[in-house]
This record gives sequence, C-alpha cells and structure tokens, in this order.
Amino acid sequence: MFPDHRRDLYLPLLGAAVLFGALVGGGLLYQIAVGGSAERLVTAMLIDAIMVLGLQIYVGNTGVLSFGHMGFGAIAGYTFAIFAVGSDRKVGAPFGLESVVVSPAVATGIAVVVTLAAAVAIGIGLARSGAKSGAVAATVITLALLFVTHEVARNWIALTGGERAGLSFGIGEKLSSRLPVYLALFAALVVARLYSRSRSGQLAVAAREDNLAARAMGINPLVQQMAALLVSVVVVAVAASLRVFEFGTILPDLFFFDYTLLTLVMLIVGGRNSVSGAVLGVAVITVGRELARRTGSDGFEIFGVGLDGAPLDWVFREGLPTVFLGLAMLGFMIWRPVGILDDWEVDSWLHRRLHRSADARPEPLPELAAPTPVTLTAQGIDVRFGGFQALSDAGLVANSGEVVGIIGPNGAGKTTFVNVITGLVEPTGGTFRIGDADLTAAPTHELARAGLVRTFQNLRLFGALTVQANVETVSLVAREHRPGRDRVDPDALIADVGLWDHRDRRARELDYGNSRRLELARAAALAPAFLLLDEPTSGMSDSESLDMVEQVRRVAATVGAGVIVIDHDLNFITGISDRIYVFDQGRVIAEGTPAEVQANPLVKAAYLGSAAID
Amino acid sequence: MIELLQNLIDGLGRGSIYALLALGVAVIFGVMHLLNFAHGELITVSGYAGYAAFQAGWSWYLVAPLVVVVSIVTSLVIERLAFSRVRGASDFTLLLTSFGIHFLVSAIFLMYVSASVKSFPRPGWVANTYSIGPLTVEVFDTVVIGVTIVTLAVTVAILQKTMFGLALRAAAADFDAARLMGVRSDSVIRGAFALSGFLAGIAAIFWLMRAGNTTPTAGSDPMLKGVLAALIGGLGSLRGAVLGGLALGLAEVLLRSQLPASVAELTEGVVFVLIALLFIFRPQGLITVAHAERV
Amino acid sequence: MLEVRGLTTEYGAITALRDVSLSVGAGEVVGLIGPNGAGKTTLLGSIAGLLMPSRGTVHLGDDDVTGQTPEKMLRAGVALVPEHRRIFVDMTVEENLRIGGVTVPHARRVELLEEMAELFPVLRDKWTTSGGFLSGGEAQQLAIARALMSGPKLLMMDEPSLGLAPIIVDLVFDLIDRLRAEGRTILVVEQNATRMLQAADRAYVLRSGVIVADGSGQELLAREDLFDTFVGG
Repeated sequence: MFPDHRRDLYLPLLGAAVLFGALVGGGLLYQIAVGGSAERLVTAMLIDAIMVLGLQIYVGNTGVLSFGHMGFGAIAGYTFAIFAVGSDRKVGAPFGLESVVVSPAVATGIAVVVTLAAAVAIGIGLARSGAKSGAVAATVITLALLFVTHEVARNWIALTGGERAGLSFGIGEKLSSRLPVYLALFAALVVARLYSRSRSGQLAVAAREDNLAARAMGINPLVQQMAALLVSVVVVAVAASLRVFEFGTILPDLFFFDYTLLTLVMLIVGGRNSVSGAVLGVAVITVGRELARRTGSDGFEIFGVGLDGAPLDWVFREGLPTVFLGLAMLGFMIWRPVGILDDWEVDSWLHRRLHRSADARPEPLPELAAPTPVTLTAQGIDVRFGGFQALSDAGLVANSGEVVGIIGPNGAGKTTFVNVITGLVEPTGGTFRIGDADLTAAPTHELARAGLVRTFQNLRLFGALTVQANVETVSLVAREHRPGRDRVDPDALIADVGLWDHRDRRARELDYGNSRRLELARAAALAPAFLLLDEPTSGMSDSESLDMVEQVRRVAATVGAGVIVIDHDLNFITGISDRIYVFDQGRVIAEGTPAEVQANPLVKAAYLGSAAID
Repeated sequence: MIELLQNLIDGLGRGSIYALLALGVAVIFGVMHLLNFAHGELITVSGYAGYAAFQAGWSWYLVAPLVVVVSIVTSLVIERLAFSRVRGASDFTLLLTSFGIHFLVSAIFLMYVSASVKSFPRPGWVANTYSIGPLTVEVFDTVVIGVTIVTLAVTVAILQKTMFGLALRAAAADFDAARLMGVRSDSVIRGAFALSGFLAGIAAIFWLMRAGNTTPTAGSDPMLKGVLAALIGGLGSLRGAVLGGLALGLAEVLLRSQLPASVAELTEGVVFVLIALLFIFRPQGLITVAHAERV
Repeated sequence: MLEVRGLTTEYGAITALRDVSLSVGAGEVVGLIGPNGAGKTTLLGSIAGLLMPSRGTVHLGDDDVTGQTPEKMLRAGVALVPEHRRIFVDMTVEENLRIGGVTVPHARRVELLEEMAELFPVLRDKWTTSGGFLSGGEAQQLAIARALMSGPKLLMMDEPSLGLAPIIVDLVFDLIDRLRAEGRTILVVEQNATRMLQAADRAYVLRSGVIVADGSGQELLAREDLFDTFVGG
C-alpha cells in the first residue's frame, strides 16, 4: 500500500503531527490571550477542521466538486443524535428508537456505518454518471443529496424533531471535554495525509489531473473515486457527530447551505489540493470570520485598539461574516483558484529538505527479452458514425519485439482505429485480441492492463505531478495489474530517457521534447506488451525526430515491448518500423516493409490525392 | 376530470414563472457553460428596489417596469464584476463563483437592510378569481400565463429575427465558430446576461406580487426552481427550459393535490432525486451541450 | 495583400509552427499543402486570430494585424471556413448565412443573401432547412457561402474536401475555380495535394511546422521529389 515507507508513511505522520501542533497550539494561545470566552470558538474551529479534512479527502484528491458533503453530515448528525439523546427527548421516534440510548462513542460508530451505506449508494450513482473533475452531473447529484436530507429532516418530524424541536441533549449531557475533538482531529489529519500518499490516493490524483490519460495507464478512476468518497465520509461522519454533540442540538439547517459555504470556503482558500492547505484555510477563515463578527457587532475595536468607528460604521455591521465568506470565495475563484498553498504539503517540503542529496543517479536499465511472445490482432474492424463509414474491414497484426508503423493521410481513419483498439470507440464489427484474450470493446483501463499502453498526440501528462510522480504512479498500477512482468524501476526509466535532472519538476513545466520523453517513460512504466505511440514526432524538427527513434527503440527494448507507431512523417516511420500499414478512406490499402510501401503507387496516391495515379 | 383541469391551470400559472427563470439559466449556460446559482439574486435585488419604490409611494404600474430594469442592470453588473473575470475557467471555478455571489448578495442585504421581512401591498386583483363553468380561475394565474406567453413570444422573436438573437444562438452552439463570423464575444455574453436579467425581471414581478414581501434570502427559492427546470429541460436547450419550467409547475401542483400533505412537502426533493436519477442513468442525454472527448 | 513573416506558434510546450513566412497577393489562389500534423490548421488559426502566435507578424495590406481576436480579423477582411465546416446545425441555411453577415449593414446583407442564393443554387433549394439536415457537400457549400457573407478581402479555407465523396470534391474545386474567376483572393489548406496544385496559382508545402517548398502550382506538380518533400522521405 505504501511503496516507500519513509516517504509515504513516516513523513506524512510527521506532517499530521506538525499540522495538529500548529492548529491546536494556535487555538490554545488565542484562548490564553482572550480568556474563557474563546473556548467555544476554538472547539468549533477544531471540529470544522475535521469536517474540512473530510471534504478535502474527496474534493482534493478527485477534483470532483461535491456540494453534498453536508448531506452526509446531516445523515451522520441525525443518526448520532437519535441514538445518543435520552429517551425523553425523542418521544415517539419510529423503529423503536425511542428506547434505544447508547453512549456517544457508540452512536458515532453507528453514524459512521449509516453514512458509509449512504455513500456507497451515492458513490455508485456518481460513478454511473461518469463523475469527472468539475462535471455538472456530479454537482447535481451531490446537491440532490443535500436537498433530500434537508427536506427529510424538516418533514419527518417523528424521527428528526423537525425545524422547531430538533433533537437535543439535556443540560450537562453535551460534549464537556475537548479530548475527543483532539483525538478525532489528529486521526483525521493522519487519515487525510496517509490517504493522499496511499496507492488509491495517488491514482485518484492522477485521474484528477487527466481522466483519459489515467484510464489509458490502467487506472479505473471510478474505483479510486469511490475509495476516496468512503474514506472521506468516515471523517465527515465523525466531524458531524462531534458538531452535534458540541452544539447540543441538531436542526435541519445545521448541515445545510450555510455550513456548505463555510466549509467550501475554508477548503478553497487554503488550497483544496493539500491537507496543509485545508488546515490553513480553516485557520484563516476562522480568524477572518471572528474579526468580522466582532467588528460587526462591536464596531472597530480589536485587541483594545480603539478607533473612532463612526466613519466606518457602514462596514462594521451584522452580516459581515457572511459577506466576508462570499468575498473570500469570489476573490480566490477570480484571482487564485488553487488557494493559498495549492498542493504544498509540509511533510513533502520536509522530505525535500532532508532527503535530496542522498539520491544517486540509478544505473541504466538492461535490455529485456520479451518474456513470452505475444501477438496483437485486430481483424475486420468496422466503425460507422451515423451514416459515415469511418473504418471498413480494417485490421492489423503486431508481434512483441516488432515495430509496426501506421501511416495515411488526414481522415484516413488512423485515429479512429487507434480509438477502437484503446477502448474509446466501440466498433460496429470486428474483433480485437491480445494473445488469447478477446478485448473487443473492452474499457480503456482494461486494455491498458492487458498490455497495450498508449501515448497521446496532444500530450496528456499529469500536469501538476512531478516527473517522478508521473512515472511512479503508473508503476503502482503495473505492480498490481501486470503480474509476471518484471517491475521496471521508475527511477531508472526516468534516468534512461534523460529526465533525471528534471525529476522534481512538475510535468506541465517541461518543454516539448521532455514532455514527449516523459510520456514515453510513463507508458513504459506499465511494463506493456505493446507501446502504442500516437504521432510521437508531431511538432518536432527532423533532428529531434531522429533522436526520438533512438529513444523509442531503447525504451521498447528495455521493457521488452512491441511498438505500434502512428505518424505522418514517412522518414520517421521508415526509420523505425519493421512493417508498415497504410490507411486510406477507412481501409488498409497496403502493408509491407518500408521499402515495399515506399514503392507502392497507391501510397503515393493516398498522400498526394487521387489524381497522382494518372 | 374537473379537478385535473383545475390543477392544469394552477400548474401552468406556477410553471410559467419557472419557465421564465429557467430560460434565463439556460441562456447563460449556453454561452458560458455556467450553471448560474446566482440567478435568484436578481429577484432579491429587484425585490428590494421594488420595496424602496413602494416606500416612496410608487404604484405597481411603476414598480413593475422598475423591477425589470433593476434586474437587467443587476445581471449586467454581476457579469462585469465577477463572471467576466472567470470566463473560460474550469466548471469548478465557475460553479463556486456563482455559489459565492449567491451568498454574497443575500449577506449584503442582511447587512444593509435587515434580516426581517419587508412587506409591501399586493395589487388588489391578485386574490380575485372568476369562474368558467365549474372551474375557478385566479385572475393572477391568468395574467401570469398571458404575460409569459407575450414575454416568450418577444424572446422567440429576439432569438429568431434579430441579429443579436442569431449571434446568441450561434455562440451557444459553437463559440469559436461564431467569433469567426465576427460575433463579438463580449457583446454576446453581455447580451445573454441582459436577456437573462429581463426574463428574471418579469418573473420577479409575479414572484413579488404573489409573496407580497421580500427578504435577504428571497432569491434562494426562485434560483432553485430555475435551475431545476433548466436541468429538466437539458440545460443548454432553450425550448427545453420552457418545457422544464411548465413541467415543474405542473408536477408541484399535481403532487400536492394527489399526495398526503406530509409527503407533498417533499416535492422539491422528489424532483431533485428524479433529476439526479436521470443524470445517473442517462448522463449523456441530459446535457445537450455535450463536449466530445478529444484525444 | 496578406503578408506573414516569421510566424511561430506554440501550444504549451509544442511548437506547431516555426518561423513561417508566406504571402498572398490580391486575386491569387494560394494553396497550402502538407501531411497532417504539419501545422496547416495552426497556421490558418494563427492568421484568423484563434491562436496567438508567439513570434512573427501578420500584415493585411499595410496594417499590422498580428494577434488580433477573430472578431477583429473578420472585420479587417479575413474570413475563415474552419476545418470540419462547423456550421450551426440548429439554425436554418438562411440563418447560417445571416450570421455570416453579422458585420455588414442590413441592406448589404440582404444583397449578399441574394448573391449567395445565385452562387449556390443548392442552398437556395434548402433555404429553410436546418443546417443539421444538409449533406456533406451542401454543408461545405454553406460554410463557404457563410464566410463570403462578410464580403471578405481574403477567404481562407481549411480542408474543404475533407470527408467528402470524390464527386463532391470535384464540386469544391470547381467552386474554387469559380471564385478565382470572380477575382477573389483565397488561401486554401488541402490534403489533396495534386488537386490543389492544379487549382492554385501558387502553393506552399508545409511539413513539421516549417515551409519546405514553394512555387507555382505547375512547378511544384512537375517536381519529381514532391512526394519525398511532402512526407519527409
């Protein structure tokens, strides 16, 4: 689960401890400075922090914007309350719950279980809708959850007490010690940090950065999103139980739009992509809101500094805290949507400080013979879009250890063919197999796991991740889904393609040639049986293309993979291929060695237009 | 049968207002790919403008046009101050921006006006009814349906006949292609916000007439209806938005008359769940402005 | 009329065009050929304002129009028939044409509509049909007519024969001949190199973002090494 114990286990734990110390320490200092009146504020802040961490685990790692997490909060909060409050405070509760009273700890446990069940249902729904970073469908489904829980809470009065009574703890039954909050906060920090360093977390982040590329690397984003959601709601359920316990009463509005706004602003301001950011956001917004509240009600007098408030009266009014939240949300969305910290983590920073010099450049990788020869066969592939026949009876055979080229003019159907064998387009006819496995119309991630890994013409790297993380993430997939293949050392791959000195840079900061090299290394990290390269030289000069030939040959030999390469550049294709297929008008019009293909008049005609045959 | 007809009339009256709101949401989604959670704030702002005008002794005949004008101006101001700065940003950013505006506007009214309900007189005819055979028809519903038909006719005429309308439709279908034709992106987006503000303004008049008061959070409910109706209609589709609005109105009235009172309270929740289920089982069918995955 | 000097365009890390220079004189039909991925569409996009060049200049007559928005370029007199036509499928033929003339005064627009009906009889017959119901050839003619509605000084077409049946391709090239006869200035990107060279006064060969050959259509057609130049053999 954690490949590198130091980096993925001990340092995140250290990071959690540092963040815990900072937030709790800050809160206690403030309490000492202000006195007992600040106690509830600090407790509320710590509970908010747990809630925001729960939100961060899902939103941060998957990039899916959830408005519904307070819906989960409501489910957890009511479950907690209905089990924990005394019988006299829930007279007439259905299902015999009136007589059931358990300790707050047990009630929290029940809340976690119930919320998890709800999350499984919602998660399946999100998966079916094809949740993706920022998708409207996900927003609507999560909003539906929020509204439905709110409406049920308002109207199922026997269970929830409705809008007036709610469910309340008696005097003296409320949360009286802060110990549970401390424990839960520390646990939430540990869970959030460990999840983002876990295999699932890293795969989810890769899918957040580029959903299609992640699928092409064998990642199933829906599984990782579900995992993130389940981990996330556990933390949310604990936070919600604590919030109800601390507040003493639950009413429908306790987990509705206002709290959704507050927690989202906290997450966005600090930086949704990091745990440190979530914690910072909680601190910044709590301080800002408290200042707004105090100045709003008392005029402009903070910490004994008294200014004549009169000319500023128009600013310092009640309602200022919400205005502050709205402005913070807008301001950050307009000027800095990634938040203050973006994806900066305190422990990763420590890791870089402490660890850097120890890494030595790894040895070059030896060439591997193809473990067992495999044949990839596409036969009789037909694709029809409406009335347009994009492919008719197209096919191709490639063997491991061999380099097969595909050429053809624009509109010849090459891209459609690639889309068929990578699972993006379902063929109307034909079969596609790798070895004995029939993979016709299999989803993209399964094709990748079966050994066919592609690169993209327009470069689809995991932009925010470092070079190293791009390759390592895919290596995690290889470990699980490419059994029987020797694991390719990611560091050695990075060094092999000449990116060792850039390994800590973000992929989106690389120049073009290096981005291409990284795509190659990333694809190779999956230990593929076949590398499919889509226009690997587009946008390269002739000399760069020649370098690329060498690079492709070397990497393919290193991982023992066959190569299928599509390109418009005949020089490049003939230089690299053992055999070439020529596509035109959705058909394969020629096949043979580079020399045969170059001599074929049909090929010339396809490229220069029909009149060239004359 | 008679009860059904009665429900139909009531539902159309209600649905007409939703249709106007949904159309405004759909117009903005078409040109900006933005699901505008701030749409209801046009009603909040114009409601307070109307309240101020009543305080100054204006009559409904003067207040009604004022409400429309304020709604249009507010829509344009929000575009200029906020949405123009996030144009082309990710859906994530767009959604949270509109979400932020939604809260900001109500908080500002909370701060500067007050949290309490501000009431104003409803026109005398709002509660009147007349009979057609066994049916009892509210004068108000009749006026709403009539005005909505006129407003929709005007909107259709704008979209079909004017160059602005053509440009708006073209931009909604393919923004870059429209720019290649010389359509100015600034003008078409501002025009869309103005149109959306106009439609919300007409809806606001009736919303306020029916309510007879306004509060800082008055925009939440109409926002929700507009967004839901636009979702039912397929978001990008203008025709769908109108039908979605009418369908939502009818559904509410029918559910309320057919179901026990305690369950009927859940109408919104039920509609929301139905839409969510549609998204779950037919994700590609709901958003008509589908964006093909480019490799 | 159009003078492009040293144009370089990058998409993020990708350099799609390197130091490209070309010119189109008034009344000329100029072809731009090259294999896919060569940067032809990028070049038209950079001229039309859809893409921002990182270096180089675009002059139209005496005016420097480098890096203008598409809406300004159109007003300067450059119309682009985009790749895949991109007609508005939910709008009728007439509405598509009217939106093409959004920048011209009303009276002139009415005149131009009549001219287009003359020039494209196929479209006149489908005047109130939705764009989505046109065949490929009809849609291509609509896309060209729509661009002509702005009365452009320079008409640019991106792959007008792409995805069309051979007989329709003939029609497209006939149309280019007719437009040339009317004295229009045209820059066409084509994959069908032979046909393009036959139809063009002059042509440029673009490969890997660089102009590798240019000359009159006949000169280039006669070149033995054209195929090699084209595909980099």
